[in-house]
Amino acid sequence: MIAITRSTHATVKERPVTTLEQKPAKAEGRKDPWGVLLEKVGKHQDRAAYQALFEHFAPQIKYYAISNGIANHAEELVQEVFISIWRRSCLYDWRKAAASTWIFTIARNQRIDMLRKLQRRNAEMAVETEDLWQIPGENEDEPVTSLHRLMSERRIRESLSQLPEEQITVIAKVYMEHKSHQMVADELGIPLGTVKSRVRLALNKLRVILQDQNV
Amino acid sequence: MTRHHPDSLTLMEYSAGNLTEPRALCIRLHLAECSHCRSRVDTLDSLGAVMMDQQPKVTVSETSFEQLMARIDAAPEDTSPVVETPRLSPIQKLLGDDLDNLPWKRQLGDVSVLDITDKFADQSERVVLQKLCAGGKAPAHTHKGDETTVILQGAFADKNGVFNQWDFVSLDEHDEHRPVAVGNEDCITLSVLSAPLKLTGTFTRLLNPFIR
Repeated sequence: MIAITRSTHATVKERPVTTLEQKPAKAEGRKDPWGVLLEKVGKHQDRAAYQALFEHFAPQIKYYAISNGIANHAEELVQEVFISIWRRSCLYDWRKAAASTWIFTIARNQRIDMLRKLQRRNAEMAVETEDLWQIPGENEDEPVTSLHRLMSERRIRESLSQLPEEQITVIAKVYMEHKSHQMVADELGIPLGTVKSRVRLALNKLRVILQDQNV
Repeated sequence: MTRHHPDSLTLMEYSAGNLTEPRALCIRLHLAECSHCRSRVDTLDSLGAVMMDQQPKVTVSETSFEQLMARIDAAPEDTSPVVETPRLSPIQKLLGDDLDNLPWKRQLGDVSVLDITDKFADQSERVVLQKLCAGGKAPAHTHKGDETTVILQGAFADKNGVFNQWDFVSLDEHDEHRPVAVGNEDCITLSVLSAPLKLTGTFTRLLNPFIR
């Protein structure tokens, strides 16, 4: 296969553009540096790879904790997220989720878990956080969608820069500040309907809304 | 094949981790059977990752990584790689029994209910299982506040159409309906109600969204 590819090198430029949309995503998937590091941690408990991931993602997660109103537990959340990454990296599969998406869902679940533990009275937690919020790629087998997953993050990154500030603000409050649409409306002093339409416009442009049935 | 899905805004609140546990449970049960919505949630999770990446970064304490490694070295058994095991369905975990063997409480006519609010730490919403026996009709009713419902078994029909197993139904106080269980099975639903319990009025009516 490799020999053939090399021999056709001169014709590469003339390839039909129909494959253009899929090729970069595939290439990005393989080259995603964070995914490569995660796999090293998962397969060999590679500490250098783990440290590189820590240096990149820990400051993001610390901000995530602070913006979510748990500044007193920010360092603790970073620790919990990374313990979870250490333990779960063996389940990580780059074909099923981009590394940063996978890490985001772990941070989200650890944040939920921490709040549940802080707020828990005497009630036993019958369902665990991960029974309710799944980490992508675990306990499921959907090879068909993997390409879609890898593409979506790249696409979102690109199109987010084109969104008006007011739409990004609303989305940031939902994701980073743990706020419902109603709370965002109250805080910005705008009607709930305006918040919802900003989110819808943004999701439309980000092509998150592929089709909304039953709305 | 499910046909009634949660809307994108609800899925976004789910992806952001902002839904209450019972509402997240409804979404989770739907997702388990709906690849269309799983794909939407994947995209939303990626949106979360990109948002997190584009926010400010805060330097962690200098010893943070050392502490982490010390913890891993000190207690390898607590930090060992997880073993992937098939998960029980959350509904099985929650109820621990066959849906038909639950201690159902017969309400009016064809409707039985079981309040499972106490299974959740946060008591701000009511969580109820409802059973409409095969072919049975619920009296016409409207809703107070928002109601989120997922169908666990069987199917029901109302003026909005037919709702099958794992379909997702969102109703508010403007929706008046009169569900009829269709098919040969009892129709069992899980509902989360935002309206707080008011101890005025008829207790059974408050307990039961089908007949409220």
